[in-house]
Order: sequence, then structure tokens, then C-alpha cells
Amino acid sequence: MIRMTDLHVTFNRGTAMETKALRGVTLDIKKGDFVCVIGGNGAGKSTLLNALCGDVIPERGTISIDDRDVTALTSWQRAPFVARVFQDPMAGTCANLTIEENMALAMGRDEKRTLKSALNKEHREKFRSQLSRLKLGLENRLQDPIGMLSGGQRQAVSLIMAVLKPMKIIALDEHTAALDPKTAAFILELTREIVEETHLTALMVTHSMQQALELGNRTLMLHEGRVVFDVRDEARKGLTVADLLNLFHKASGLELDDDSMLLS
Amino acid sequence: MNLIQFMGALEIGLLYGLVGIGVLLSFRILDFPDLTVDGSFPLGAAVCAILIVEDVNPWIATFCAILAGMAAGLTTAWISVRWNILNLLASILTMTALYSINLRIMGRSNIALLGEETIFRPLESSSYSLLYTKPIAMFVVAGVVLVLIYRFLSSEKGLAMRATGANPRMAKAQGIAINRQILFGISLSNGLVALAGALFAQGEGFADVTLGSGTIIVGLAAVIVGEAFFNPKVIFTALIACVVGSIFYRLTVAMALNAGFLGTQSSDLNLVTAILVGIAMITPKLRAKILDFKAARNSA
Repeated sequence: MIRMTDLHVTFNRGTAMETKALRGVTLDIKKGDFVCVIGGNGAGKSTLLNALCGDVIPERGTISIDDRDVTALTSWQRAPFVARVFQDPMAGTCANLTIEENMALAMGRDEKRTLKSALNKEHREKFRSQLSRLKLGLENRLQDPIGMLSGGQRQAVSLIMAVLKPMKIIALDEHTAALDPKTAAFILELTREIVEETHLTALMVTHSMQQALELGNRTLMLHEGRVVFDVRDEARKGLTVADLLNLFHKASGLELDDDSMLLS
Repeated sequence: MNLIQFMGALEIGLLYGLVGIGVLLSFRILDFPDLTVDGSFPLGAAVCAILIVEDVNPWIATFCAILAGMAAGLTTAWISVRWNILNLLASILTMTALYSINLRIMGRSNIALLGEETIFRPLESSSYSLLYTKPIAMFVVAGVVLVLIYRFLSSEKGLAMRATGANPRMAKAQGIAINRQILFGISLSNGLVALAGALFAQGEGFADVTLGSGTIIVGLAAVIVGEAFFNPKVIFTALIACVVGSIFYRLTVAMALNAGFLGTQSSDLNLVTAILVGIAMITPKLRAKILDFKAARNSA
């Protein structure tokens, strides 16, 4: 359903700061795939995600979603089929808008926004029932500014917002990296549940190799803007972090220890 | 301060409440510091005045003034968004150009509207004194605008505009074309300011090319004084705060300039304004400091 062909992205082209973030990534993601993307700093993980979401327009290559070429579409034009959750819990919501206003914004993602009141009884019912699954008591705080919530709570609401409307793809950019371990585990579990329930195609960038093996059905490693390996389903079962490091060594001829991935 | 001065301050305060709402839209809601208003206020006055002198219906003249103001705002927003020019600079460009444009529109630096047909004319034939009817008319206008803007800002479209200013990245991810929001929002803001200009020309009976200087600071005064008073959390309070802030600002200025013991005179207006806005900006910080201090002392 997502097809990326020979993607090239260069930042600061023609300056001393020139960085080739992606150097020819070709990727085919099937409907319902849950892909975990790993790689060291500067490997191009976030750029890959940003290219999918339209924040970065590749200088070469094409991206298509469901056989529709979306390469030239801006991020807001892609919003009807790609939802995303950012690494920074503050980035995915508007701090000074209330919880219900933030959720109302997500409701308008796939349709023309009108002059009708953004909130009504029906919306609030829907928001309450969606929020109650979090068991954080947020369903009773619809009118609180979302800035009053903790980072973990905001990230949870962001996830709910991503699937308020029928969606095809969810892009998760290290969305648990800024959270404490307990909250991160909660958000990860929620992610798993939501993706399963809604049969979304998911692309998740992570720093944790363990996470990349446990979640989803496919693990993809990037290195210097290229895919160094791509394991899925049966082939992935039983793999350990040590196996991943071996695979990386074989594929790239480089030594790499787990720490250099985690510490960045 | 006597009754005439009080009612005058009330009337002008309500009128500049519209400017305050315009400034709230640009500065606060879209996070787009826009100085175009210094040009769009006299633009509204100029367009309205020249059309009235040419015997156009005053309602149509007022409507044309709003359109002219929106065009000015659109220009600023377009320069900023399309060419990626810093918003403040884009607005200074438009503001500068508008000075000449306003002179061209009027053909001279000043137009008197005494004896001309204005939208306030029917008030003159009522049995009540203009002293009361004009502030009431202004109150109705400000009230209607406030409710309309409130309804807009709580609609789906309005919410998209608020998200654009608060968190553009999130807004884009939610499918909002933020550039369009800025284009429309800044147009709307300047349309309101031009409406205020048109009402000013008709209420005071003249349009002058220098009318606009300091509009932005008066608008900001309304927003900031209002915020210092109300500490608004929701959009409706923020809108009310603008209008009340504007009235309060006018009354304070009128009092300060009339206070014999201070030895002030009318040319001190800008000094008084700057001091008042300064106090209003410092008050919330001072309040927070005092609260911090108290909390620290209590925990010690």
C-alpha cells in the first residue's frame, strides 16, 4: 500500500553542511504491516518518516499510497490518510486549546471544515467514550486546556486523536522516547492495541532494538540513508538484539554495539 | 472628567475595541505581529469618506471600507507567506505603502464629512441626545462584531485558525492549510480595523491621512490591558477583555490628561499610553513573582 521508490533527500545542498539523509531508499509496505525502523543517529529514520508525511519533499524518487502518487502533496494534503504522533509530547497537541478542542481538530482531518460549531453533544459523547479507554480520568476533563496534562497523557490523547477518523497509516516518530519507562510502556501497549483494532498500517521509528523486535511484524534498519536489512514475519521470529547486531555487521561490514544506537 | 468627556471616551473606547479584536486575531490568535493596522485604519476612513462625499450610500461606503482593509491585510499576509518574509517586515511594507495610497484615495490629506449622510445620521433625528445614542450605537456594533467573531472562532474553521497560530506543525498534521489560515485571518483582522476607521470617520465627521499613527499601540493596549484585568482562559473572555480593555484605556487616558494636579496636557497622550501599556504588561509578571515569593516563604 505504501511504495517508496529510490528516495533521495539531501539537506543544505551545496553548503559545507550538506547531509545526504536518504540515498536511495526503496520500500514496499503492505496493508496492515507494522514496521519498526531502527538505526543510529543520522541514519535517516526520521527523514524517512517525514518524507512519508510530507514534511520533507524528496529531490528524487516517488512515494505512492494505495497506488496514488503523493510525492508532491504537502503534509496537510496527506493528513486525510496519514496520522502521526510526534516524539515531543508538546508537538502533537495545542497546549492552550482544551482537550475537546484538540480532539475536534482531529475530527476535521479528512473533511472540509465548515462554519458549524466545532463541538456538539455527539462529538463530546464520542470523545468521552474514546478517552475512557485510557483509564486516566480524562473523559471528565474535556474542558481543561491540554497543556495541563502530563507528557504521557498528552501522548495518549495524540494516539486517540490519530484514530478518531478512519485512517490508513499511522506514523510514530519515537513517540515514547521523551517519556519515563513506566509511561512509555503504557503508551507502547496502547499503540499495539490501537493499531491492531483499527488494522492500520504503521511505521514506527524507535531507538530501542528490543522494541523493534517485540512490536509489529517487520523490522527495518537504516544506515547512512540506506536500508541495510529488512526482516519480517517468520524470519523475524526468535531474533535477538545480538542477532540484529550480527545482521547489521554482515550487511554493512561495520561493527556496531547496542549502546551506540541507544545513546543518541 | 465631565459627562461629555466620559461618554466620548466610552464611544471611542468601544470603537477601538474593534481594533483590539483585530489585533487579538493577528497578535494572539495567529501569532502574527501585524503593523498593517496603522495603515488600514485610515484606509477604512479614507475609502468610506471619499465614497460618502461622492454621494454613495453610507452603508455601502462602510462595506467598501471593510473590503479595502481586507485587501490590505491580504497583501501583508501574502508577502509574508508566499515570499517567506518576516511577518513584521511584511506589515511594515504594506503600512508604508498605505500612507501614499490613502493620500491618493482621498486626493488630499483631509476630508470633512460635516453635513454629509452617514450611518449615524438617523440618530440625529431621534428625540434622545447624541451624547447617549452614539455610544449606544457603537455598543451595538461592537457587540455584534464580538458575537460574530466568537461564533467564527468556535466553528470548525475558526478552530483551525487558532491551531495555526498555537502550533503550526500540529495544525498541518491535522490537515490544515496553515498558509490559507494566515491569509484569511490577517484579512479579517484588517477588515475589522478598517471598519473601525470607517465608523470613526462617520462618527467624528472627518477622515485624515494621519489618523492611523499609533493605531497598533492602541489596539495592543486594549488587548494587554484587558488581559491584565481578566486573565482570559477561553476565547469569549479574551474578546470581552479586548473591548473592556479598550474602554478602560480610554477612560484612564482621559483622566490622566484631565488631572490638573499632574500638569498633563493633551500632547502627552502618547507618553500616557506607553506608560499605561507598560504597566499592563508588567503587572502579570509582578503578580507571578509575588505568588512565587509567597509560595517560597510558606514552604520555608
